[in-house]
This record gives sequence, C-alpha cells and structure tokens, in this order.
Amino acid sequence: MDSYFINKPNLDRLVKSLSKTYKIFAPVKVDNNRFYKKVGEDGLEKSVIGEIRAVEPIKSFYFPARIKIAEYFSSKEDSDTKEKPIAIIGAKSCDLVSFKVMDYVYSQEPFRDPLYVSKREEGLIISSDCTCYGETCFCAAIGIMPYPIEGFDINLSELDGGYAAKAGSGKGEKIIRDYFKLFQSAEPYIEKRNANRKKLKEDLLEHVKKSKIPPKDSIQKAFKSKFDSPLWEEVSKTCVECGACNMICPACHCFIMVDQKRVDGFERLRMWDSCLLMSFARVAGGANPRKLLAQRMRNRFDKKFNFFQDTIGRFGCTGCGRCIEACPGKIDIREVLSKLER
Amino acid sequence: MISNPYLPIKTEVLDVIEESATIKTFRLKPEAPVHFKAGQFIEMSIPGKGEAPFTPSSSPYEKDKLEITIMKAGRITGMIHNLKKGDTVGLRGPYGKEYPLSEYEGKEILLVGGGVGLAPLRALFLALIHDIEKYKSVLFCCGSRTPSDIIYKDCVLDKWQDLDKKRVKFRITVDRKDDSWRGNVGLVTTTLDKLDINLKNSVSIVCGPPIMMKFATFKLIEVGYKPEQIYLSMEKNMSCGIGKCGHCRLGNFYACKDGPVFRYDKISHIHEIWD
Repeated sequence: MDSYFINKPNLDRLVKSLSKTYKIFAPVKVDNNRFYKKVGEDGLEKSVIGEIRAVEPIKSFYFPARIKIAEYFSSKEDSDTKEKPIAIIGAKSCDLVSFKVMDYVYSQEPFRDPLYVSKREEGLIISSDCTCYGETCFCAAIGIMPYPIEGFDINLSELDGGYAAKAGSGKGEKIIRDYFKLFQSAEPYIEKRNANRKKLKEDLLEHVKKSKIPPKDSIQKAFKSKFDSPLWEEVSKTCVECGACNMICPACHCFIMVDQKRVDGFERLRMWDSCLLMSFARVAGGANPRKLLAQRMRNRFDKKFNFFQDTIGRFGCTGCGRCIEACPGKIDIREVLSKLER
Repeated sequence: MISNPYLPIKTEVLDVIEESATIKTFRLKPEAPVHFKAGQFIEMSIPGKGEAPFTPSSSPYEKDKLEITIMKAGRITGMIHNLKKGDTVGLRGPYGKEYPLSEYEGKEILLVGGGVGLAPLRALFLALIHDIEKYKSVLFCCGSRTPSDIIYKDCVLDKWQDLDKKRVKFRITVDRKDDSWRGNVGLVTTTLDKLDINLKNSVSIVCGPPIMMKFATFKLIEVGYKPEQIYLSMEKNMSCGIGKCGHCRLGNFYACKDGPVFRYDKISHIHEIWD
C-alpha cells in the first residue's frame, strides 16, 4: 500500500467533509491530559493528533459504559433514530490493540453482539503515531509499538506541518482515493517517519527499563509460577475494590445486565462490571469461587496474561498505563509484573 | 441483520409443581419453541427484574414445552418461586454444551445426582430411556437431604421404577431419614460402593451442589473411574450465557459456552473448580 502526505489544513478539510457522513471524535488537550471531543464546526483546530493516548479508553465508543441492549414485551417498537457512524481520529496503537480483545469477545460467531458489530463495521478509525510517551506508558515493554501496525483505516504520522498517511483497509484506501487532491506523495517523508518511530521506541524502552518488567515471552510462565504466591495478598493490600482499573482498561470487557420497567414493557441495560468486586463470580446459592480480594486480584492478572495469551495469542493488556493513573491505591501493574519473576 | 442475543422470548407459566419446601418445577410454554439438548441451559427472566441460568429438567424430545426445576436460593429464584399459573416470564437460549450422548452409546451409564442437581439429570435420563436400546444400562443414584427433599417423587419413587428393570436401576438415598423412610440412609457417595458395573465400559455423570460434586467425583476416582469417564455439570455465574460478560470463567473456559457439561479430565487441573 502506498503512503501519502497530507498537510494540516488539508486534513482539516478532509475531516470537515467526513463529518457529513460520520460523527467524529478527536482528542483535545486539557492541562496535561487528552480527552476525546466531538469535532464540530471549527474542525481540528483544537485537536491533538499526535502526542499520546487519551484518558478514556476507546472501548467507550463501541462498548459504552451503560447502554440499552434490549426492549421486550412492549406493544410498540421504539423508533430508533439511526445515528451517524463514529469516526475516531488520533486513536493510538494501544487503542487499536485493544480491539483484538474486544473483537474476539463481541464479534465472534455464533453470538455476535449487534451493537458492537455495527459500530465496528460502520465506523472509521484514523489512528496516529505517538510522538512522545507518558509517564505510565509501557506498551513497548510488552511488544506493542508506540505506532499503529494494523487495525486502522488510515494512520497518520505527524511530521513537518502535516502527516504521512497510510491506508490500512479498503475503507481507508477509498477515502484517500476520493480525496486524492488533498494528498501528495509521501516519498520525501518516509525516512523521517521511520527515524521518528525508531527514536521514540528506543526512548520508551529506556523509560520502561527501570520498571524491570520481565521479557514479554516469559510473563505468562512467570504468572503461572506465582499462582499460589503471597504476592496477590501483598498487591491487594491497598486495593479499595473501586473497579477503576477495570473501567479505564481498554481491554476489560466484562459487563452485568440490569432489567427495568418502562412505561410500556421492559428494557435490559448493559453496564461495565468489575472482577475486583466481591459479587462478580458469586452464584445464587452463595458459593463464590473468589471470596478473597487476593483471589480476585490474581484473577485480573490471570485473565490478562494467561487466559488471553492462551485464547487469542496475546495479552489482554495494551501497556497503556491507564490503570496506574486511575488506581487510588497506587497499584502499579508494571511493578506487579516485575514481581512475577522475583 | 444480526439477531439480538440478549432478547428474551415471551413465555407462559403453564403450571407450578411443588417438589419440596424449597424446590418447585415450572412448566413453561415459550411463544417460539426452544429446542434444547439435555445438559444445555436457558436464561429465565422475571420481566423488569433480571434473569438467571437454569438447565431444563424435562425431556428434550418434548417440542413446544419445557420444565425447569428451581431451588429458592437468591433474589431472582425467590421471585420465580412467587410465580403462578398464567404468569409471563422471559426465556433465552438454549446455550452451552450438552451431554455428548453419542459417546455414551453401548455403555453402562451411571448418573449421580444430589438435591436440585437432579434437574439436568432428569432431562438426561429421559433422553436416555427414549432410546434405551442404544445403551447397555443406566444406574441412577439419587441423594437428598431428607425424604421430603426428594424431588420428582412421582418419577423417582414410582413411575420410573416400572421401567425395564434389567436395563434401568435406581439407588436412592437420604442423608437423614424420617419415620416414613424404609430406604437407604447415607450420603450419595455411599451408593457408589459395590457397583455392579463393568468400569471399562462405563461413563458417570454427576450433578449436584459443589461439595457433593467434589466428593462424588473423588469417590468415582477411588472406585476406579478414570477422569475421562466422568462428566460434570458446573455451576458458575453464567450471566449472559454467550461467553461475553466474563462472569463464569473457569480457567481457559467459559462455563456458559464451553460447558456447563465438562469432562472431568478437561478441567481437573484448574484451580478453584470446586469453590
């Protein structure tokens, strides 16, 4: 696939035009954090396309925190006004990797999740390279590059007042074709893009060195060896069971369903759930395979670094570091990983 | 258009049968037929309140109706116990893996059930006797706490006793007897002594409360069954029923989509299976 270059004014033009088809979100910067904001009339003026991931995980758009998933036993159907599909601009590599988990859970046969699948199929993702790293970033330590490799429609690498653009899907290629006059040859920029990527990867690897995270390929084995270790009790000492780590994690997919009465009939809602909560695995009779907080803490790591490694061949962790920022108990996933091999 | 897997089917309660002080069987007629295989489960909901997973206890060969036997144990089962004939509930499913009947053909089959765990075994038993000539024999070992806790009394103590006695046998026991009881007294594991079964050509299927499953499984191993000859119905928090919500994970499996019926050798290495 060929690469192209698009300058900033032209990207703005492209996005304004795409906003006729899509509801577009791009990160804006508030203090030192980035938050997705709907792109309006003023285009990308305030958006930050490079830098690092936003505070909220990208799953929020495809698997919302609370959503109606069914209406039942009502006499009239809700006339659902069809919303525009979502386009995300400035999604980062760690965001795209989280789709490997989410797609496995919500798009696989035989029970595909209709809401998730339609948002994924109709949506558009214009991702971008990270241009720096955050204090809690550790993707490179677990084999994820700070620039997208796959899973995007178009990827942008910021440089020289614009972006090197690469199509990653038929949908992305078509957009580049349809707006061809906004693009120019990327030829002069590719070398620089590659040099930027190499430099950031090296800087990030240097940054995560002090965390002493075991090599990616030995994490699962190390976890298994620590199954019965006092480590889990130690790690969970400061856990207040708030579930923030689950909510903010781009790869945490668990949910609970809640039914309620409507004026006419009933509805079923789906809300994010947290495996750190006492009731998570409890059954009606009261039996609970994970009564102890330490068991639930271990379960979180079991799911991320053992279960998903076995089932989809990769971790249920993207190295985004959001859970480190969110935890009121200062539990640091990098530190836990480092202790697996001690 | 993908069909909505979270949408329940409107279902009428045709009858409520009191099995014991805490267990009732609900006879249900869904608006659209639910074709389940023995061992699979459904999600039954109280409209506007929530749902819970249950394994039907009726014959899978009955096409438009099904029965579900439920012990009053929590919030939803408490509301289900208040249901009356003519009430409306919701149903989703069937979900999960059934008992692999073709693997049981030509074999001597041992069923071991405790308490409300007899429910899935009744569906299995009815499927087995439907084609009884395919199987060498069936021995059904049933345990209950007291004689009044025995469920399906009309079947277990009466109707089923008239089946082909050469092929179908019962061992019924209670943990504690009362004045009326003339049968065996002891835990269900005591019925597994002195089995008149060729173990080499046998399979055993266990369902009951976690503690009973654990000790029955250990007992079966002790009397000579191999882990690959033992089938368990695991009780986990199967909430969505379709492998998405994450609650019923058991090692690398989800009880709802890889189970609830598991061959013991496939799960024996997993921590926390009996909890």
